[in-house]
Amino acid sequence: MRQPFHLVEFSPWPLLISFSIFSMPIGLISYMRSSNISLLILGLITTAIISFLWWRDVVRESTYQGFHNKLVMKGLKIGIMLFILSEVCFFFAFFWAYFHSSLAPSVEIGAHWPPTGIYTLEAFQVPLLNTSVLLLSGVSITWVHHSIEEGNYKSAMQGLFITILLGLYFLLLQYGEYSETMFSISDGIYGSCFFMATGFHGTHVAVGATFLIVCFFRLKNFHFNKNHHVGFLAAAWYWHFVDVVWLFLYVSIYWWGSFQNSLNN
Amino acid sequence: MAVSLWRTTTCILKRSVSLASVRYGHGPPSKQVDIHKGKVLSDEVGLPDSLGHSVGIERYELLANQAGDDDPFEMKVVKRAKGTFEEPTIIKSVNNKRMIGCICEEDALTINWMYVHKGEPKRCECGYWFKLEELHPKTYE
Repeated sequence: MRQPFHLVEFSPWPLLISFSIFSMPIGLISYMRSSNISLLILGLITTAIISFLWWRDVVRESTYQGFHNKLVMKGLKIGIMLFILSEVCFFFAFFWAYFHSSLAPSVEIGAHWPPTGIYTLEAFQVPLLNTSVLLLSGVSITWVHHSIEEGNYKSAMQGLFITILLGLYFLLLQYGEYSETMFSISDGIYGSCFFMATGFHGTHVAVGATFLIVCFFRLKNFHFNKNHHVGFLAAAWYWHFVDVVWLFLYVSIYWWGSFQNSLNN
Repeated sequence: MAVSLWRTTTCILKRSVSLASVRYGHGPPSKQVDIHKGKVLSDEVGLPDSLGHSVGIERYELLANQAGDDDPFEMKVVKRAKGTFEEPTIIKSVNNKRMIGCICEEDALTINWMYVHKGEPKRCECGYWFKLEELHPKTYE
């Protein structure tokens, strides 16, 4: 076969994962309507297992079978960029909802933002720490990238370990923040916008951290080389994307969104 | 039909239960050349370069590039030769026929697509001649 395209083999994963993904929204609805979480858990677990097996196959095809030549790598990179673009659109919707409600606050919430009775989180305490944690992780992942390109195994492992730790620390801090809020996702426009946007950001950090952990083990097993490390590139781009989304969340929801409260204080 | 159904079904079933195999439908996987065999991680030995642990078609492409062939998969546009009957544009292929597109003149807005068959020089309607010749796939070590 003298052609530069990767013609993939038969695979059960696309069909199987479509079933398990379908069971997630159904499970979520059933959880919200009848407090039965079992289908949601089942959907999450099966999706995780099938994703693992699917990506295991991709790793085998690229690292062990060498199907990812230059043209295939180019296609993969374009695919990742388009995926991240779709994620930008996804978060754009939540920011739209937030600014729709906060720039012209309706009379029902007191015609000001944050709404009457809402005490926002302190922007210059843990959220600012979160910002610096994510910015720092952006620095350390760049350190990893340079180390990989220079072939410095030990330094790359150290940098990636630190990046993962910072990601997990961010999640821990967010968990602490969530348990301190005096509003909930279902009691008004502020909580709905806040938890929808920061909650989806938090799950994206969790996914990005998982992606980085996968990269950590692939790096440990010498799957990457100086010039061919698309898996790591994807994880790094995704991480930077998550980082940038946080900056917008911080500036607009945590900081700008709490101006009124800080004036009153 | 039955054969392909059977093949698809068994492949899919096998893939879902097999935990430690690789799939191949285009012949066996290429032999792995491990130039890093025996090397251990040290201050001098870190991650390999891309040729270091590449296999299969990826390695073929890198070796071809190294040998000076920047187009190992024949993806680039073939530049037209003189194009007379005596000196036709040579089209190479491993198969008995290959589809070509003749850009008849510099400003042409359309491409004339046609097949050239082995042993039959072909003339595009614009007058240029093409001829199919055997392509011997190169191997690189």
